[in-house]
Amino acid sequence: MGIKFNAISYEYLGFDESIVKALIDVNLNIASNHEFIALVGETGSGKSTLVKHMNALMIPTSGTSILFDIELNQTTIKDNKTKKNPIRKQVGLVFQFPEYQLFEETVLKDVAFGPQNFNVSLEDAIEKAKTALKLVGLDETYYERSPFHLSGGEKKRVSIAGILAMEPDILVLDEPTSGLDPMGQYELMEVFKTIQEKQNISIVFISHDMNWVYAYANRVLVMHQGCLVYDGDKTTFFNHPQLLDWKLEKPDNMKVFEWIKDKPLGRQDDKLNQTLKAYIKGDLS
Amino acid sequence: MNNIVIGRYIPGDSFLYRLDPRVKLIALLMLFIATFVIDSLWVMTGALGFVLVLLIFGKISIKRVYLGLRPLLFLLIFTFVFQVLFNTQGRLLISLELHYNLLTIFIAIFLVILWRFLKNKTPFSFLVFLLFFALAMISFVWIDFIRGFGTSILAVYETGLLLALFVLLRLIIIVTLSTMLTITTKPTDLNLGLERVLKPMKIIRINTEEIAMIIGISLRYIPTLLDEANKIILAQASRGVDFQEGKIKDKIVQIISLLVPMFIISFQRSDELANAMEARSFVPGQPRTRLNQLTWKPLDSIVLVISIVSVILSITLRIFG
Repeated sequence: MGIKFNAISYEYLGFDESIVKALIDVNLNIASNHEFIALVGETGSGKSTLVKHMNALMIPTSGTSILFDIELNQTTIKDNKTKKNPIRKQVGLVFQFPEYQLFEETVLKDVAFGPQNFNVSLEDAIEKAKTALKLVGLDETYYERSPFHLSGGEKKRVSIAGILAMEPDILVLDEPTSGLDPMGQYELMEVFKTIQEKQNISIVFISHDMNWVYAYANRVLVMHQGCLVYDGDKTTFFNHPQLLDWKLEKPDNMKVFEWIKDKPLGRQDDKLNQTLKAYIKGDLS
Repeated sequence: MNNIVIGRYIPGDSFLYRLDPRVKLIALLMLFIATFVIDSLWVMTGALGFVLVLLIFGKISIKRVYLGLRPLLFLLIFTFVFQVLFNTQGRLLISLELHYNLLTIFIAIFLVILWRFLKNKTPFSFLVFLLFFALAMISFVWIDFIRGFGTSILAVYETGLLLALFVLLRLIIIVTLSTMLTITTKPTDLNLGLERVLKPMKIIRINTEEIAMIIGISLRYIPTLLDEANKIILAQASRGVDFQEGKIKDKIVQIISLLVPMFIISFQRSDELANAMEARSFVPGQPRTRLNQLTWKPLDSIVLVISIVSVILSITLRIFG
């Protein structure tokens, strides 16, 4: 169970009628529990395209994606028998900008919209919406407010709650921390961590901030020019020789440790040096 | 959504691209007048030939023009068929007796179903349609040995056929000419040209610059808003809104989930645009300088003269021809 990509590629016709390759030969397995995956890469590297393949919003032009035992490729799409909608309940995708999905009069109704689309009764949907809103840190005072009169951060939380209320097995977040103040970013990442641990689901998040990758991810995927160039743990990732070629950087604390390394310590302390070396490598255990 | 051909600029290089947009607009208007003045089929065929020559010299592929005509194909066929069927003047060309009975109607229904089934599986859907239509007609004409509900007569007259051809040619010429204009002119240039051509309207207190600005911005925002609509569809699809597989009852509710964000985003966009324009000191009605100045070249005068001559020619042909 989970997401399985077998050599998927995605091509489309560009403006000047040349073929643009957004994804090239991506192989990937994501289990439906225990994973906390960071998806990183420069802008235009195909992260968002990859993420859209995860809940069947896009279908690979070649290769097969198997999403919770539902096989999707060009031949199954032509048959027109494969239902894509059930996949979207299991893989919840939160887009970067909440403006694209908020539409109801009240926050509660908006969050309850998702579950209702999957044949959940109104009362149950409201119940789920309340739980989801509590999870993202919005209390009862928000229930009857209009989603359009909220601040950017609050809108973002509502949009995340809208997907959480559908109780997905894999939660995919496109830049969940963008547009939030530092404290809000931290709170939201903590929320994701709690959800992941308590409900035993998997989380995939796109981020440009390596500090969040360093602090939360247990697996890192790197996209570069449409290819998946790295898939593994974060310690190896931050010490990867090609890190700068991928237009990525080390997190702040690793930079600080590297800076300390070059400073004279005043006294020779082997234990301290040892710890520092481990820190520089990004190994905190 | 990226396949909209009408009104799309396609980069290229030919004399049509180098022409002044003002001249192109005026010449288009002149040629439109000329096509409407012409009243004989032969002159109209000549005009079509002239348009084809323009296409060849303008280095525009016929395929492009066909793509522009395709959305109008239904309209063209519709006008043609109606002209042919309902005009009863002139010499009788064909007269067919159509027999309606159980067998022929069954064959017709069967052919319609078969065509609908085949429609999406063959690249030549239009040719297949013609073939099936012919088959249905043949069955209506030949199967007369079964007692049926009645008969009717399909008659085609000479004038009807000629008039139908005439209207068809006129429509094709007009669409081709407009497609030529939009293919070879950038929307910004077209807009600037329109603004300059309409300038005399200022005498009757109509601010042409503002009108041109409104048209320009609307055209510019069509692809942007299509893009936004696409994003909204995807965002709502990941919340279970499903326009392909869902029930009709649900779809009606779900359409609201697309419309509301669409409205809000359009208003936001226009607000941001207004701010951005104001930040760059745009004041409505004030005179502005232009980045691209239009320059009048000898070629422009030649084209203008040719277009005026074609109008005069068509008028003389109508009066004396």
